[in-house]
Amino acid sequence: MKLGDYLKDKVFIIVLIILAYFIIFSFMIGFKITKEFKWCFTVIYFLLFIILFLYDYLRKYFFYKEILSKIDLLEEKYLICELISKPNFLDGEILYQILYETNKSMNENIRDYRSKIDDFKEYVELWLHEVKIPLSALILYTHNKKTSQVLVSEINKIDNYLEQILYYIRSENTEADYIIKEVDLNKVIRDVMLKNKDVLLEKNIAITSDVCNLKVLTDYKWLEFMINQIISNSMKYMKDIDDKKIEIKAYKQDKYIVLEIWDNGIGIPSSDIGRVLNKTFTGQNGRKVPGSTGMGLYIVNNLCKKLGHKIEIESIEGEYTKVKFVFDNNLFYSEVYSKA
Amino acid sequence: MKKILIIEDDLSVRSELKELLSNAGYDALILDDYTNMLEDILSIHPDLILLDINIPYMNGELLLKALRKVSNIPVIMVTSRVGEIDEVLSMSYGADDYITKPYNPTILLLRIGAVLKRGEKNITDTILYHDILIEVKRGIVKKEHEEVILTKNEMIIFIYLYERMGSIVARDELMTELWNNDEYINDNALTVNISRLRNKFRELGVDNAIETRKGQGYILL
Repeated sequence: MKLGDYLKDKVFIIVLIILAYFIIFSFMIGFKITKEFKWCFTVIYFLLFIILFLYDYLRKYFFYKEILSKIDLLEEKYLICELISKPNFLDGEILYQILYETNKSMNENIRDYRSKIDDFKEYVELWLHEVKIPLSALILYTHNKKTSQVLVSEINKIDNYLEQILYYIRSENTEADYIIKEVDLNKVIRDVMLKNKDVLLEKNIAITSDVCNLKVLTDYKWLEFMINQIISNSMKYMKDIDDKKIEIKAYKQDKYIVLEIWDNGIGIPSSDIGRVLNKTFTGQNGRKVPGSTGMGLYIVNNLCKKLGHKIEIESIEGEYTKVKFVFDNNLFYSEVYSKA
Repeated sequence: MKKILIIEDDLSVRSELKELLSNAGYDALILDDYTNMLEDILSIHPDLILLDINIPYMNGELLLKALRKVSNIPVIMVTSRVGEIDEVLSMSYGADDYITKPYNPTILLLRIGAVLKRGEKNITDTILYHDILIEVKRGIVKKEHEEVILTKNEMIIFIYLYERMGSIVARDELMTELWNNDEYINDNALTVNISRLRNKFRELGVDNAIETRKGQGYILL
């Protein structure tokens, strides 16, 4: 609050004070009051008002300065009331009361929404587990009765979509839902490959995997989901050629361990590559292949962020796509681990 | 015949599971009375238990904990809950394996086979088949002074067939076994591997070692 703004705000009162002065002054001339008294009166009259305004200005100045500087620093601005001291003038008190009430109702609203979202998430998780039971029965049925491969691959798709929403919810959760352990890359890749074996064989995609027996620190289930998403994408966006390939390798690079999944599929146009990790981005490839939700890579990226890994995507349209997961090679941990 | 006990409350899943296990040559039983599970398990005395976590009256994890106090029958936990925390908890209670629904049937059979095998100790270095000596670790097949080298894939296929000698093994089973050993080969390669294996045995004088049953699979005689 600047002094100029304050005076501008009080301009009506100031005009009244000056007007009153002239009225009193003209009365004093009428009553023939001595010159000395008139001067004395003028000085006292104006001094009084200057002191009054200054006092009022300073009180407000310090209160609003505190409030404005704190609201600048605060991320959740609705919590400002908790941070300021109660003012000692009337407008300030009213403002403080209003802020307090607003803050309270906002907090109640947020709590309501948060608990609604949590309930919803909990229900979706429960529902997902429920729906997996009939799905298991169906898979067993198709296997026992040797039904057509079409059914099997459709059921696989359903399972994939269910996994996506499950991990979407987990990636949005604030609380940690994972356990970091030493994970054998060979084992994760084996599990993902076995899961996709039928489709890979049917599409006749050649797999090579050489991860040099490397181990990384991560959550097993989350990594399995992430690799599965990448492999699913590779299968989905494969070119229609005889020599279809997916190549997996892992190596150490400086302080990191890199897991690389390469395929010779349709690739990603250079105009799209910067956005493939965005939510619901499907791009040009999304229009070529049915069933693109634009969620897979977004969720994978989110999970990576949570676990502290990095994902890098490199591609030339029509030639290849290369997805790299970069893990910290935590030497301290592995030393402690090997000594224990 | 190995006895496998299924503890699972979903009717369709358990009847399909029973069919799957029976087809695979196991004696599959269903436990459908949930009031005295611990006593029932001990009186049936199965070779392996497939235990669902969400069962009526009692949580599967608690049942496992109680069972482990009196018996070490192998237990595979089966659940639709996907999460590292559930898995760690189950394993710490003494489960031998943990599988999430929906499971691939061949993988389930593979895991069951692996857990059952853990109990026995038949990991031999040498196998005697007809009058041929197979040195598993060196990858060599010998008859008197003749020696033939088997590749890793051929050895995996032979051992898998040998363990099921006299019964038909589906191609899909062999494929799963190979993929489970990080050998991601395709259909053609499997055919080639089998015919090479057959030729190698022919060189050593066993003419019809592996027979093809059309539409069903292979059988080692």
